[in-house]
Amino acid sequence: MQASEAQLRHWMTAGLDGDAASHEALLRALVPLLGVFYRRRMRDAQDDVEDLVQETLISVHGKRATYDRDRPFTAWLYAIARYRLIDHFRRRRLSVPIEDVETILIVEGFENAASARMDVDALLSTLSPKQARAIRDTHIDGLSISDAAAGAGIGASDVKVSVHRGLKALAARIRGERT
Amino acid sequence: MNTDDLIRSLSRDVPRVSRSAMGRGIGLGIVGGGLITALLVAMVLGIRPDLHTAMHGFSFWMKWTYTASLGIGAIVAVIRLSRPTSSGLRGLWWLIVPVLLLAGIGISELAATPSREWLGMWLGASWKVCPWLVLTLAVPIFIGLQWSFRRLAPTRLREAGAAAGLAAGAWAATIYCLHCPEVSAIFVLTWYSLGILLAATAGAFLGPRLLRW
Repeated sequence: MQASEAQLRHWMTAGLDGDAASHEALLRALVPLLGVFYRRRMRDAQDDVEDLVQETLISVHGKRATYDRDRPFTAWLYAIARYRLIDHFRRRRLSVPIEDVETILIVEGFENAASARMDVDALLSTLSPKQARAIRDTHIDGLSISDAAAGAGIGASDVKVSVHRGLKALAARIRGERT
Repeated sequence: MNTDDLIRSLSRDVPRVSRSAMGRGIGLGIVGGGLITALLVAMVLGIRPDLHTAMHGFSFWMKWTYTASLGIGAIVAVIRLSRPTSSGLRGLWWLIVPVLLLAGIGISELAATPSREWLGMWLGASWKVCPWLVLTLAVPIFIGLQWSFRRLAPTRLREAGAAAGLAAGAWAATIYCLHCPEVSAIFVLTWYSLGILLAATAGAFLGPRLLRW
């Protein structure tokens, strides 16, 4: 079970107040979250995932003064994680395949929305079961597209399209609820 | 190193971070660099001898209001761009306000002056050196801001560099006012702004190289 935004934020603010135990609990809770985040973006270089997770933990620790206590924690965390990822690609002088950029961008919108602490399950239940399952598999449980396709018994492109349309529908819904 | 050990070692050092820590770090960098700049102005260029009288006049405060308001706006931009979640330079459009106000003053000054004196007003006695002095004096403040950025997390490095350059240039110009005896609004509008703009451009150029973390 992954820690909720509220729990992470509580640990973060306690850590900022000088509570080392909370800070440690926070860093531990971030390991699986960041693992999922990087694994699904590093299809060809899974070996780098642990390095990236560690680098991000160091950044989270070193840059914690830049967290604004009045803002969602996960938005801040994923902004750092994305920066570490881009920096990683830049150092390796790799180009990012275009479909990955699209995932990063779509997921960005989704994660910002998720950090509004809305109930993900309630949101997913508003989608068709196929889209909900595709999003849950690839973006929450961190399965690869092909694993998700095999699990659901549908084609890989079907999974991609379902994720894309589902996230778009969710983003539109959240924007609508906010304004 | 395995992740568990890393977390344990990071968690050994968890100092309290106050809400104002980030602003204080940026302020310290600017003030530290600003002191060096002020020292340079005092020792190398010299404070204008009529400073005391000038401080009772309009043009001194016009210059200070202009450069300081740009400086404050630039600091706001630096603070925003220091967070990884920053959305960029949008919301800084109001920095055009001091520029427009100064342009208004400049036009009214021109209207009150015979046109054969316009060129002299515009070029003053120091138009050739003014922008370069502002740019040079911005260097210590820019370095001070580099120091502040150690603990910050900019993700838009070019924009953050430009904002840091703008802040350094605007505060350098503010300090340069202690030396510079020019009085006309269009002089300030042209040559001060050019110096500040040069500093911001240099910052935008250096940002992606210096601000990586």
